[in-house]
Amino acid sequence: MILAVSIVIAVIFGSGAFLILQRDLLRLIVGILLISNASILFVMASGLSRGKAPIYPLDGASVSDPLVQAMALTALVIGSSTAALLLALVYRLYVSHRSIDIEDLSTAEMEAADALERVNVTEFDRGFRDEPVQEEQADERELEKEEPR
Amino acid sequence: MTTLLVLPAGIAWIVAAVLAPMDGRKPVWSWIAAAGLAASFVASVLLVFETLEGGPVETVAGGWPEGVGITLRADVLGASFAAVSLAVLLAAFVHEVLVGVRSRTFPALVLFLAAGLSGLFLTRDIFNFYVFFEISMTSAYILTGYREKDPQVRAAFIFAVVNLLGSVVFLFGIAAIYHVTGSLDMEVVAERIARVKPASILPIATSFFVAFSLKLGLFPFHFWLPAVYVGSHPSVAAILSGALANIGSYGFLRFGAGLMPKELGFGALVLLVLGVASIVYGALQAISRHATNEVMAYSAIGQVGYILVALAIGGPVGYAAAVVYAIVNALNKALVFLASGIRGPLAGAAFAVGAFSIAGVPPAAGFVGKVALFQTSIDAEGTFRSAALLVLIFVGSALSFLYSFQVYQRGFLAREGGDNRRPSPRAARTLTVALAVLVLALGLWPEPLLVLGEESANLLLEPPNRGLAEGGAP
Repeated sequence: MILAVSIVIAVIFGSGAFLILQRDLLRLIVGILLISNASILFVMASGLSRGKAPIYPLDGASVSDPLVQAMALTALVIGSSTAALLLALVYRLYVSHRSIDIEDLSTAEMEAADALERVNVTEFDRGFRDEPVQEEQADERELEKEEPR
Repeated sequence: MTTLLVLPAGIAWIVAAVLAPMDGRKPVWSWIAAAGLAASFVASVLLVFETLEGGPVETVAGGWPEGVGITLRADVLGASFAAVSLAVLLAAFVHEVLVGVRSRTFPALVLFLAAGLSGLFLTRDIFNFYVFFEISMTSAYILTGYREKDPQVRAAFIFAVVNLLGSVVFLFGIAAIYHVTGSLDMEVVAERIARVKPASILPIATSFFVAFSLKLGLFPFHFWLPAVYVGSHPSVAAILSGALANIGSYGFLRFGAGLMPKELGFGALVLLVLGVASIVYGALQAISRHATNEVMAYSAIGQVGYILVALAIGGPVGYAAAVVYAIVNALNKALVFLASGIRGPLAGAAFAVGAFSIAGVPPAAGFVGKVALFQTSIDAEGTFRSAALLVLIFVGSALSFLYSFQVYQRGFLAREGGDNRRPSPRAARTLTVALAVLVLALGLWPEPLLVLGEESANLLLEPPNRGLAEGGAP
């Protein structure tokens, strides 16, 4: 029994780890969910007693450990809400980048980093002026756009 | 006394729940949120005094008998971490309100984060710690994306993915610790761990170490940190590095020094090496960067290295130094990130105080932390180790002085032809200057800090010994 549970946990964890290494962000999220579910199974497996469901009144037979079940339930709730949050984030990434491929995102990240470096180097040469002003104006425009709502 | 224990998390929680559906961009709601946060902060400060005078405060939630219900507990260590984190949150939040909140949910999220943080610092139950930890992490994931520009959304995604994996590792550790000790109550766990063979605890200790290192951004686990701190908005970066990172240092102290001191002793060399690697790597990377945020992000990696070194040396001096350094570091980081986001008169002065406090220049609070560290390394076993550590800490400080000065010069001095950008609101600048004055004041009058550090160290050194004395042979 212990062996069977460990194998199940190992397989789920392994599949999750495999999916996390994929380029597609949705697969990455499925991978994280699998891994977090493996951990919940591990919580269940760490119970200290086995037996019937621990419902009062107890008829003397051994009951399964209720504490791990409470922990698993809590962890499940947390897991599902973070999954919702992650999916929302991926949707938001898709809206702004038109892609859910991690390569595209890291390209965008690298470009941003390069731009930062260039701005800083040129700023250093010129004595700091232009770029941040534009950014702030953009901020203000955004604010005006949002205000009427 | 016991009501005071519930207040820091309770007030923040209720105000957050009320504000959640409201439009946080309206100043009314923002100021109500700030008032709630301030009330939480005051409660946590009162709790610090209470625990300093009368020892730990405890209560069992929901009126359950002891041993069944979840025990809430405030001791000097937890209460002071709660107070510092709430102070940083309050400063960052008020700063953002003065500059202008741009998102409906911002006030409620900051309050949820405050509730989660004060809840996890004030609990004795490991699983309760995990739940509050997840509450604060989840609000932090959303906060990272605040202002919703592309880099911020990317930062939020990276932050969420990496830290979720950290949480999973932590959950594995909790399940394992429950299986080994049969309890989730920190005191019972500490007592039973002291009697278990270290070999069965070491893997659990490692999983906790990995989980908290990920939060802190220690050297081999730092890969997510620069992208997130650079991408996020300055006040959010202040929250992440000044308040949220405290979870990591508190976790090291509570779980490492408090629950598994023997295992911490076994891992001391690893901790020492990783800490030193963090210090050197963070400082060198920081020197090679240009943008203020980026420099400070890498500096954050270096600064947590000092905490780890102090922890690895251990003993009363080491633990006290770790606590003092963690508190000082939280304030420094908050000040630096907030000051980097403002412009106008005195902004540069405030930034300079923060930057030089990081470097450990005398009148600022950072000096107190550095002195505590020097003391610790002199106390370390073995002359060679002691000397090597002294040299390393000295080199690390010299390097941090270098990048602090570089970034100050680039950001605030070398502006020829004057600054033609609109200065930030005067109130926001005043707040940052006030924070700078606090950092200076703590440096000039370090007694309160040192007392907190000393008392926390005594507390951490006490439980396992007492457990052994009382419990004897199993």
